[in-house]
Amino acid sequence: MVAEVAAVGAPTRPRIRVEGAVKSFSGRVVVDVDDLVLGDRPIQGLIGPNGAGKTTLMRMIMHSTTLDRGRVSLLPVGGGEVVLSSMAAHRMAHHGVVKSNQVVMDFDKLTIWDSVLLAVAEARYERPHRVFAERSVFSRHEDEIRHHLDYFGFADPTAFAMSAGEKKLLDIVRCLLLQPTFLLLDEPTAGLPDELTEKVMTVVRDLASAGTSVVIVEHDLNVIWSLCDEVLFMAEGSVVLRGDPRSIRENRTVVEKYLGEGHV
Amino acid sequence: MTLDWLDAFLITGLFEVAMVIGLALLLHLQLGLARIANFGVVGFWAIGMYVFGVLYVKVDWPFGDPWQFLVCAGAGTLVAGLAGLLVGWLIADLDTDGVLVGTLGFAAAVQILATTEDELTGGAFGLGGLGFPFDIGKVKENEFLWLVITTAFVAAILVYAWRVHRSPYGRLLIAMGGNEPLARSLGKSTFRTKLWLFGVTSAAMGLLGAMDGVMVRFLDVGHIGVDVTLAAIVGLVLGGTARVWGAVVGVILTVGLFDIVVRSYLPLPQEWYTQTIPVLREAVFGAVLIVVLLFRPLGILGDMRRDRLMRQIHGR
Repeated sequence: MVAEVAAVGAPTRPRIRVEGAVKSFSGRVVVDVDDLVLGDRPIQGLIGPNGAGKTTLMRMIMHSTTLDRGRVSLLPVGGGEVVLSSMAAHRMAHHGVVKSNQVVMDFDKLTIWDSVLLAVAEARYERPHRVFAERSVFSRHEDEIRHHLDYFGFADPTAFAMSAGEKKLLDIVRCLLLQPTFLLLDEPTAGLPDELTEKVMTVVRDLASAGTSVVIVEHDLNVIWSLCDEVLFMAEGSVVLRGDPRSIRENRTVVEKYLGEGHV
Repeated sequence: MTLDWLDAFLITGLFEVAMVIGLALLLHLQLGLARIANFGVVGFWAIGMYVFGVLYVKVDWPFGDPWQFLVCAGAGTLVAGLAGLLVGWLIADLDTDGVLVGTLGFAAAVQILATTEDELTGGAFGLGGLGFPFDIGKVKENEFLWLVITTAFVAAILVYAWRVHRSPYGRLLIAMGGNEPLARSLGKSTFRTKLWLFGVTSAAMGLLGAMDGVMVRFLDVGHIGVDVTLAAIVGLVLGGTARVWGAVVGVILTVGLFDIVVRSYLPLPQEWYTQTIPVLREAVFGAVLIVVLLFRPLGILGDMRRDRLMRQIHGR
């Protein structure tokens, strides 16, 4: 059972609506979502057993996995609707919809500086005739980039990100630099030490309190319970339950299918 | 100006080297940065050459050189650029194999058109009547000046490629070549970037083709074979696809050594020059390609050093 979406007053943050979205792989339905609205609460957690379809749903929202059928749309704060599922993948970021990746993804030939400058560079500076534009991009964005790199403790931004953890953090920094209005985080703290996990959680909280909607998929349930305002439980491709962290944590279905008795 | 000290073969050889360096530098932007394996380099080059040649010879222009050259070469550049946009659009979403076959097919189509549209191009008989846009005396002097002008243009391409490495555009090309879906997720239109890349580099290849047409002064379809692409690819791969100077070093060591040293200065039998040497050249270049890919796939200069470059331009 999916809880009804509360629609009290005008929304204060952007939301994403997923309608009739289905995705199958080799005949097996991986995601089948009837009607789901994300972004009603500042930080929402998406949990569920392996194979529940969490990452696929995220990828469907981002258009990096095509939908068999259905529709995904962005409901901005000012009203109206932007259909994301028919939009070119690169335009999602222009609408503020940004996602970090579950699997570590990086540009092997680009340094940390390169990677973050790539994220912030405006399209007008990336034309073939703008071969002297590097200084402009750097000076416009140096402060905000240094702020993030210093915060997460990147010692030498001119070097390449080497470890999986460093690449994971770099992925998050790139997302932050895109100034998202709707941020999807797919296992953002996987492989990170406790200190950095805490830093990521602090950044997410700050972002949410500034008006960004955040949806987070995470297997570290301590992150979910302490960070999220609402938790959605997914199983067999659908969101079967949603509510505040305490109610989800104590729900019998969640305990039996996912948490186990020892977790409560 | 007396050029008695200068061998005419040397001028031709140096021109060939400059021409292939120019093509290899443009290919470096496509293959070395954006990882787009364009095997149809000669197609864009030939379009520039033939559009220039046909307009120069067949149209009765109300003005003479240098304006006639500038207008015709400009048209060749433009048409080659438009062909680049078209090919770029067609191959934008193809994988590496698709790009390879698509660009190779494009070059073959251009050569077939140049052969079959013989009323315009002269077909297999060739198209004569081209000349230098200036006359400073003897043929050798004109050729030498044209070599200087062409070298200056190739040097400009080198500077441009060097600047691209230091620009947001170059960074986007590298990102696109390394992980296109990730670049897209950062809001980058990789499709548009590929069109820009192909449009600009193909236009420059077309202008090089037009400049080559001036030097050879007689266009024939045997001149626009796959050996032009092969020379650019082999030179670039030998020097290092990811490095700007890779194109220069590699082409000097292949085309320079073969077309200048072997062809002009080794005492080879005269009868070899018509059949044996061109075949031998392709065989040697092919062997170089195989050996480099087997034992030093990143080429003599190796991989790009973005860490060093970033320290140079932004400090720590």
